[in-house]
Amino acid sequence: MSEIDPDKKPMTPEEQKAYQARQKQRALITAGLLFFLVVLFYLITVVKISGS
Amino acid sequence: MIKPTEIIETEMTIVTTSSYKLASAKDLFALTKPRVMSLVIFTAICGLLAAPGSIHPVLGFTAILAISLGAGASAALNQWYERDIDAVMKRTANRPLPAGRMDSETALHFGIGLAVFSVVLMGLAVNWLSASILAFSIFFYAVVYTIWLKRSTPQNIVIGGAAGAFPPVIGWAAVTGDISLMPVLLFSVIFFWTPPHFWALALFVNSDYSKAGVPMMPVVAGRQSTRRQIAAYSVILAICAIAPFALDMTGAIYGTVAIVLSVIFAFLSFRVGLSKTEEPSKMKAEKHLFSFSIFYLFALFGALVADRVILA
Repeated sequence: MSEIDPDKKPMTPEEQKAYQARQKQRALITAGLLFFLVVLFYLITVVKISGS
Repeated sequence: MIKPTEIIETEMTIVTTSSYKLASAKDLFALTKPRVMSLVIFTAICGLLAAPGSIHPVLGFTAILAISLGAGASAALNQWYERDIDAVMKRTANRPLPAGRMDSETALHFGIGLAVFSVVLMGLAVNWLSASILAFSIFFYAVVYTIWLKRSTPQNIVIGGAAGAFPPVIGWAAVTGDISLMPVLLFSVIFFWTPPHFWALALFVNSDYSKAGVPMMPVVAGRQSTRRQIAAYSVILAICAIAPFALDMTGAIYGTVAIVLSVIFAFLSFRVGLSKTEEPSKMKAEKHLFSFSIFYLFALFGALVADRVILA
């Protein structure tokens, strides 16, 4: 369980909004990268199988 | 009695305060030093295209991707370890770690994760020889150069330059599955190109390496000694660059480009060697050499590929 840093103050509504926007941006990029990797691994598998 | 909405609000506060520094995708990308990566990608593609034999385009793309990710991992680990000196120097103070936009743990985990992924991807998709060299190059840059050499010797850039010299060798090994004399010569070209290129820049740019306690050659040995070493390295570089043609491993296109550009490189280096200017703004010879050194490497490797594609 993560501990709360006593030095950190709770976020203001603006900071929280920016934080959530950043979270959303990262999630979308991660999803895009995962999709790209799925396609890449599929193609690698096809090339490897046809090669052997 | 606690209302359900209060529990949700409390939990949200715990989440947000305990993970305040959520690195943005832009900062994670910046951690990979994308500008440095462009040279790595270029030389790796050249090594791959110049190698005898062929590779399926999907596997060739995967090899370049793995090399790029490996270079990004090295850069991330480098920035993680150097966050203390990066904070001291003006040029690097705005990087994600010293600027406080990212936790050091995030950078470390990102670097290690990217390194492991790049090596496994290369091994499974291409071959394990190129994966092994990739793993060694990441280790060499992150540990031998960053942790060991950079802060302990003015020869840091000379030996550390080896890390940047691996990409064409990895590209070559991805196609052939072995290492011959030609990729070793390509390695040598980048290895001996690095000191004149970097020291020419270090001579005319007022960096604060000394403030950060990094023993760079112009600071430790002085400008004149650095200039003499630049001239000496240009001769070794010319020998390595012309050797593939002299040993009949390349054709006339590469041979002509290598001879002409190496002579110009040596001329510019000797001009630096003879210079006695102390004022950075008046160091024209050093600035010319630095600009030409970038063109030299791109043109040389471009000629290698042109030679292989056209004459083959």
